[in-house]
Amino acid sequence: MIEAVLIFLGLAILFGLLLGYASIRFKVEGNPMAEQIDKILPQTQCGQCGFPGCKPYAEALANGETEVNLCIPGGNEVMIKISEITGLEPKEMDEAAAEAKPKETAYINEDLCIGCVLCIKECPVDAILGATKLMHTVIQQECTGCEKCVPVCPVDCIEMLPENVTPKNWKWPEPVVVEKASK
Amino acid sequence: MSLLRPVIEKIAKIYPMAKRYLHAFHGGVFPQYNKELSANQPVREQIIPTKLILPLQQQVGLPAEVLVKVGESVKKNQLLAQSPKDPKKALVVPVHAPTSGVIRAIEPATLAHPSGLQDMAIILEPDGKNTTIDNALKVSKQTIETPDQLKDILFHAGIIGMGGAGFPTYAKIPSRPGQIHTLLINGAECEPFITCDDLLMQTHAYEIVQGALITANALGSSKIICGIESNKPTAIKAMTNAAKDTIVEIKVVESVYPMGGQKQLTLELTGIEMPHKVHAVDIGLLMMNVATFAAIYRAVMFGEPLTSRMVTVSGLGLNKPFNTIAMIGTPFSELAQAAEPKTKLNYPLIMGGPMMGVKVKSNDVPISKTTNCVLANPPEPVDMQMPCIRCGQCMDACPVNLLPQQMYFYAQAHEYDKVEKLNVADCIECGCCSFVCPSHIPLVQYYRHSKSEIREIHAEQKAVDLAKERHEFKMARIEREKAEREARLKAKKEAVKKQASAPKDPTTETKKPSKGAASAAAVAARAAAAKRAAKAKTEDSPVTEKAIPSARLKAIEAAKKATQQSAQQDFEQGSEKTTDPKVAARNAAMLAAKKRAQAKKAAVSSDESTASENEAMPKKDPKQAAKQAAILAAQKRAKAKAASSGTGSETKPDPKKSAQQTAQQTAQQTAQQTAQQTAQQTAQQTPEEATMQTAETTIVDLTVATPETDASRKEAARKATKEAAKLAAKKRADEARAAKQQAQIEAQALAEQTGDIDPIKAKREKAMQAARERAALRKAQKNQNSDDPEST
Repeated sequence: MIEAVLIFLGLAILFGLLLGYASIRFKVEGNPMAEQIDKILPQTQCGQCGFPGCKPYAEALANGETEVNLCIPGGNEVMIKISEITGLEPKEMDEAAAEAKPKETAYINEDLCIGCVLCIKECPVDAILGATKLMHTVIQQECTGCEKCVPVCPVDCIEMLPENVTPKNWKWPEPVVVEKASK
Repeated sequence: MSLLRPVIEKIAKIYPMAKRYLHAFHGGVFPQYNKELSANQPVREQIIPTKLILPLQQQVGLPAEVLVKVGESVKKNQLLAQSPKDPKKALVVPVHAPTSGVIRAIEPATLAHPSGLQDMAIILEPDGKNTTIDNALKVSKQTIETPDQLKDILFHAGIIGMGGAGFPTYAKIPSRPGQIHTLLINGAECEPFITCDDLLMQTHAYEIVQGALITANALGSSKIICGIESNKPTAIKAMTNAAKDTIVEIKVVESVYPMGGQKQLTLELTGIEMPHKVHAVDIGLLMMNVATFAAIYRAVMFGEPLTSRMVTVSGLGLNKPFNTIAMIGTPFSELAQAAEPKTKLNYPLIMGGPMMGVKVKSNDVPISKTTNCVLANPPEPVDMQMPCIRCGQCMDACPVNLLPQQMYFYAQAHEYDKVEKLNVADCIECGCCSFVCPSHIPLVQYYRHSKSEIREIHAEQKAVDLAKERHEFKMARIEREKAEREARLKAKKEAVKKQASAPKDPTTETKKPSKGAASAAAVAARAAAAKRAAKAKTEDSPVTEKAIPSARLKAIEAAKKATQQSAQQDFEQGSEKTTDPKVAARNAAMLAAKKRAQAKKAAVSSDESTASENEAMPKKDPKQAAKQAAILAAQKRAKAKAASSGTGSETKPDPKKSAQQTAQQTAQQTAQQTAQQTAQQTAQQTPEEATMQTAETTIVDLTVATPETDASRKEAARKATKEAAKLAAKKRADEARAAKQQAQIEAQALAEQTGDIDPIKAKREKAMQAARERAALRKAQKNQNSDDPEST
């Protein structure tokens, strides 16, 4: 009897020490969940979720402070992934966000641009080039399509256009299943 | 193998797939070849079409820049478009005129691409004369010894891989001599219907072999192997003849689709199975199509750019299929029409063979450097697609050893990451799986779609990473700019402080007109601040303060406050008890004011005039003080005059009245008026200005008064001056004491107030205190100055 108690006591102490050591030795820095969520967010930095960028939203999600369905550019797909990571209940997206739309980028009508630099300040990724009282233009490769520059333009010269299809980015269409033989 | 061959051939009669044991690579299929349609026809004379469409962009790389204008006449082999910058980096392939003619337009034209998209192209209308520029590439016939020499010629000739991929040949060739030990010639041509390489080998065997020898010589390769499928006996014969007494070795390979695939033929010829994601060049092998070698020969020997190629025009819908050396840019429809179609060509032509070829969106698309076949097969009824029965035939047929079934399932479910993990990127899109599928599933279409999707996912991921990086950079930049701005402000403030501490010497301060000093100080401060800001930009100084209003403004404010405080002339004591540094400063100012008042009082009392007794009252403001002082001076003068003239003056309680009366009596009106005016003026102006003005007017006053004064007055004045000097000395001593006291208070206050606040803040506070103190001191001195002349 006493031997059994001693053995179990010894084991308990041993495992306690092991666990204690492991918790110090293998301590995880930061919040890995926030990193994970940040990776799946579309990084448009559009702020439509109400946070000043994708990372703050990811951090808020990791801390369970916000809803999973706020990422509008990400759509349903991202919402489901977020709920998988966080373990939060998936929620319906707003109707506007539910339907996926093709990627659009901002174009500045350079004839109308007055060079007010307002859009430059707004752009979260510095994709707009220009200077005061000089024409502005968008670096297409770097535009995330966040649409932040559109409302700030005082002369309304920015429009969102879908990407041009070239032989370089053209996609093979998905085969359609032929239901009936046309014999 | 040779022993097994008869056995396998016998088994193949019962089980056709037994033929797969005869070749080295996995799988493969044995389709109906239909090569005899065009293979037995002689090579047809070159067709000069009504127009040539020359797209500026080839399959790989960026578009070239047009060098000609619309309406310009060009000769055959003339350079039409080239990259202006370093073209080798962007893989820009130059465009040459395939025949002489006139440039009709430079406009978008439909490309020979499955998408049917349009791109810019040069439209050339041939004049039929075929005027040629000989040796357009200006080659000398010397032998080519280095890869770079060869690369240069190949680049200017616009030679690209003519087998199908269309990768620019100059970019494919390694620059290091000897890197390629074995050169492989691809003459397998496994696709059904296509016979262009067969015909080329039959008719241009010498060119092909010589082209290979030139390349091998330049690259330092010691071995050349040419693989030809067994179903081209004429070509094998021609090539063997041409390769006699050279290092070129002709190898006959099995007729199996897709023997012409680069990896498959490499394995067949060398026994080397190419590893995943490794280029042939990395393992010392280089394979090129027979047509490419022929083009290399023509470019190197005759300086001819690549402007035409052998094309098979064949198909079940044509009466007279043929092969021809077609100009690059010839529309498909013109070639098909020349082959006498059985029915009207209202169905899309196929670019390439039936296995891998794509239906073009418009029959007017041009022949490109990679187009080997124009196929006119009338549309067949589409077989009904059935569900996958998991028979595994696709897996057996796959020449790359992939798992077509698995990839198909994942592609259908849009799980592209899993498709990617199954190495869909290695798929050569040969179409064997679709060919063998009993359920007629267009498997290749699924893989092509998956590849596009995967490419897009990767591009998106890249864009996301870029956006993230740029966003983080922007945030960091905003942060840094904020820090810099604060550092600049801090530097500016420090500069002002430094400048303010410079005129600490009381003698210089009193002598200087304070307004001038202030403006000079401002200028100096600004200059110093700019200097500091420039310096602060480079070094990342820690930020300690919130944005503060300009330090200069603050200094001015402090000065003003000090003025007001001194003007109040509050005699209240108890400054020692104050803890607030502000209060301490105020107290210091008060002390100074008090001292001044005392000094004045003393000066007045020391004056021999009796009237001065009751006027040394605490004054409400400097205005009054100045007025009083002026009156006093006038009084004094008047008294002195009266004394000299022998009239006794009565002591009056109201000094003003008495002074006026005395002045009237002694007819010293001018002096009095001047004094009063001076006083009033002084009072109205700011204290700083007052100092100057008072000084001036006093001088004026004195000069005016001088002729009228007598010895006794002079004596009195001297006495007063003496007294004032004494007082000033005393005052200075007092001030020093006060400053000391104040410093003590400050220290106390700081100790109490700041406690745990960081030293920088304490320092700042101290500096501000010092500034305030100085302001107060200056003010006090000024007042003293204004007192001094008046008392004389």
